[in-house]
Amino acid sequence: MQKFKPTAIVLALSTVLLGCQDKGPQKEKVTIDKNPYPSTYQPHSSGSTLITNATVLTGTGELLEDTDVLLKDGKISQVGKDLSAQADVTIDAQGKWVTPGIIDVHSHLGAYPSPSVESHADGNEITKPNTAQVWVEHSVWPQDPGFNRAREGGITTLQILPGSANLFGGRSVTLKNVPSPTMQGMKFPDAPYGLKMACGENPKRVYGGKGVAPYTRMGNMAGYRAAWAEASEYKQAWEQYDAAYAAGLNPDAPKRDIRLDTLRGVLDGEILIHNHCYKAEEMAMMIDLSKEFNYHSGTFHHGIEAYKVADLLAENGNCAALWPDWWGFKMEAYDMVPENVAIVDAVKNSCAVVHSDSDTTIQRLNHEAAKIMNTANQAGFSLKEQDAIKWITYNAAKSLGIEEKTGSVKQGKQADIVIWDRNPFSVYSKAETVYIDGAKVYDRFDEKYQAVSDFMLGQR
Amino acid sequence: MNKFKISLLTSALLASSAAFAQITAITNAKVHTLTDAGTLEGATVVIEDGTITAINPTSIEADVTIDAQGRVLTPGFIGSMNQLGLVEVSAVAGSRDAGDDKADVDFDASPAFNPRSSLIPYGRKGGITQNVVMPHGGKSIFKGLAFVVDLSGEFDSVLKTRTALLVDMDASSTGSRAMKYKTLAEKLEGQQQKLSDKGKKDDKKAAKKPSQEEQVLTAVLKGEMPVVVGVERASDILEVLKVKEQFGLNLVLWGVNDAVLVKEEIAKANVPVVISAVSNLPTSFSSLHADLTNAGELERAGVKVLLSGFAFEGAHNLYQLRFDAGIAVAHGMSYEGALKAVSSNIADVFDLDGGKIASGQRADLVLWSADPFEFTTTLDKLWINGEEVSTESRHDKLRDRYTTDSDMPRAYTK
Repeated sequence: MQKFKPTAIVLALSTVLLGCQDKGPQKEKVTIDKNPYPSTYQPHSSGSTLITNATVLTGTGELLEDTDVLLKDGKISQVGKDLSAQADVTIDAQGKWVTPGIIDVHSHLGAYPSPSVESHADGNEITKPNTAQVWVEHSVWPQDPGFNRAREGGITTLQILPGSANLFGGRSVTLKNVPSPTMQGMKFPDAPYGLKMACGENPKRVYGGKGVAPYTRMGNMAGYRAAWAEASEYKQAWEQYDAAYAAGLNPDAPKRDIRLDTLRGVLDGEILIHNHCYKAEEMAMMIDLSKEFNYHSGTFHHGIEAYKVADLLAENGNCAALWPDWWGFKMEAYDMVPENVAIVDAVKNSCAVVHSDSDTTIQRLNHEAAKIMNTANQAGFSLKEQDAIKWITYNAAKSLGIEEKTGSVKQGKQADIVIWDRNPFSVYSKAETVYIDGAKVYDRFDEKYQAVSDFMLGQR
Repeated sequence: MNKFKISLLTSALLASSAAFAQITAITNAKVHTLTDAGTLEGATVVIEDGTITAINPTSIEADVTIDAQGRVLTPGFIGSMNQLGLVEVSAVAGSRDAGDDKADVDFDASPAFNPRSSLIPYGRKGGITQNVVMPHGGKSIFKGLAFVVDLSGEFDSVLKTRTALLVDMDASSTGSRAMKYKTLAEKLEGQQQKLSDKGKKDDKKAAKKPSQEEQVLTAVLKGEMPVVVGVERASDILEVLKVKEQFGLNLVLWGVNDAVLVKEEIAKANVPVVISAVSNLPTSFSSLHADLTNAGELERAGVKVLLSGFAFEGAHNLYQLRFDAGIAVAHGMSYEGALKAVSSNIADVFDLDGGKIASGQRADLVLWSADPFEFTTTLDKLWINGEEVSTESRHDKLRDRYTTDSDMPRAYTK
């Protein structure tokens, strides 16, 4: 969003404000705390670790053979052949593969935890079509055993999203997959918030079924437009207030609205859109909608028909977060092709992501990517491991706005790393060791590094 | 397969490599027989008229010979515990025929089976040649009767009906599971009583033709019809084993995420289990022992293990079954055991023709480029009842439409 535009409006409006609010000393400035539930995440203690002779998939298109990776001070310190560095621990990874930590951009762990009992259904505020005021981080149960299972599958970072009953489902949160008794202890420092939106069948089924809007897809669109129009006014009101205050006036602050705070965050470019949207024509409309109200339409999740508009997505800088093969559970999921991700990926400047939306397949996003790579290759693509790994590492990080910090094996990045017992695109592959910020958080052969949720303690 | 259909198709089939009713020999294959013969290298399998007629014969006289070049031949895999052909789109009410509020002991959904469902060619991509279709049932604990289909897509795909009775004994969101045991026992005791009365007296009432439900219950009590019981918790498994003992049921356990706790008892009772290879979350208080190692652990305890897809994958992604079997192997199941768990064990438990490569068996076969569980492996040829079947589905058509260059709008690419 352009910063200069509001000031132009303010000039006109400040004359209106002048009449009544220019007198007296200024009241204290009203500001909105944008981070009231800050991350308290601290990397677990880590020494330095040297991984030697591995096959390294960088996450950015390279496969490096017989390569060493040095993890030091929580960062990837060096990547290269025959590193001379000394480390506290050296791991001979001959025959093993190293990848960046796997990132799932679409998870409901913690909000829809195991056991999936009534008391645990905390993921979908199905009360109004617009619940942009809810923050899913307030629903996350860090003891969900699913976090541990996901870590055993190499998941180091994951975005928790609220559900898709609503046009605006609420804010997402990005977590580091570390055991912690609090959500804040898992919260990925400085990761942008997301806003969950949903197209299509879900909102119209949930609300149409109650005889209220939206009843149709056109009702969905009307609901989005009304909300963005309102958010635009809210944004303007605050900007007028800030500008008038800065000009030395004494204006009254606009009434705080938690729901509109989130939408305004999108308009300001601080909150990223994560849009559950399956169909080609709907993705195209959501892109137009974002242009109408001047924000970016972000990542399309579950885009079963993304392959039909692959060019459009790339042109507009949209990531598409997709399954390899889920289909048929509703009409908007009928036109699945298992090569979807590969077709999207083949376009220049694209951002294809493989996501799970599942407490089960999140444990095997490498297998999910493998299915796509091999199916696509049988259909004439020529994809390799170094291509497919991007879908669950670098591109996923990009979708979440954290690609500067994680998502690739590169010097200076956070040491979020997985060592696999073999090619991770084999059905027999297993993650052996998982590091987050250089700290070992999982070891398949050492119980000391196998976290157990409070819930499972003493149950087996 | 109907004979008249063959003559209609003959001209078309002559052009193909495996015309029906011809003798086809697949030579030089690595054959997983899943019988006592084990795995044969460089073997020949001869099929004729829908049946495997010879393995490694001394001489080969075939109309068509396919050199497998060392590739892998397995029996067609068999799906189970899903609603294939009964549900096209889960959220579209008018495309769902797997359940009914009134469904009970005698609910047979097979007349509603649609062999032209788009799920069927997609299922063939995973080497699936047959499927044990399970109804959803309704409010009763008796969910209805399983039936068996092949995945040929032909209108005569239903191979067998009244294959098993499905009973749900897992926890429900309302009521007590204790009530389910009462209902089950009363139903079985009631029928037992009728049969005993009938033996004693020969009055008009006893001579009356038994109802559909009575016929099913009689078959169950005689052990002729398997009873598939969906249950998870260890204590419930033991309770169901008691019911089996009391009534002499031919019991199959399904779900059983806690089975490893009572594996010895299950093995001793000689009861097969159908599990998902990828279930490893405590989804309920009844399944705290779900784990990826369960398939292997049950196998080692001597339990006959059958693998079915994960609940969500269901029939739409039946093709995934071979990968699930691979995951079971990665976590401790034997390779041969995993192959059997998706083919011969299912055939054995539900008394199907198929699931093995042996003389006299139905010729449901898959030729793979390599290990069928691995992602890199391609399915090269598929035979159902001796006939080579395509694995193309509408998904391929859609992919081709959107990846083929054309001056015309996509809608003109067919």
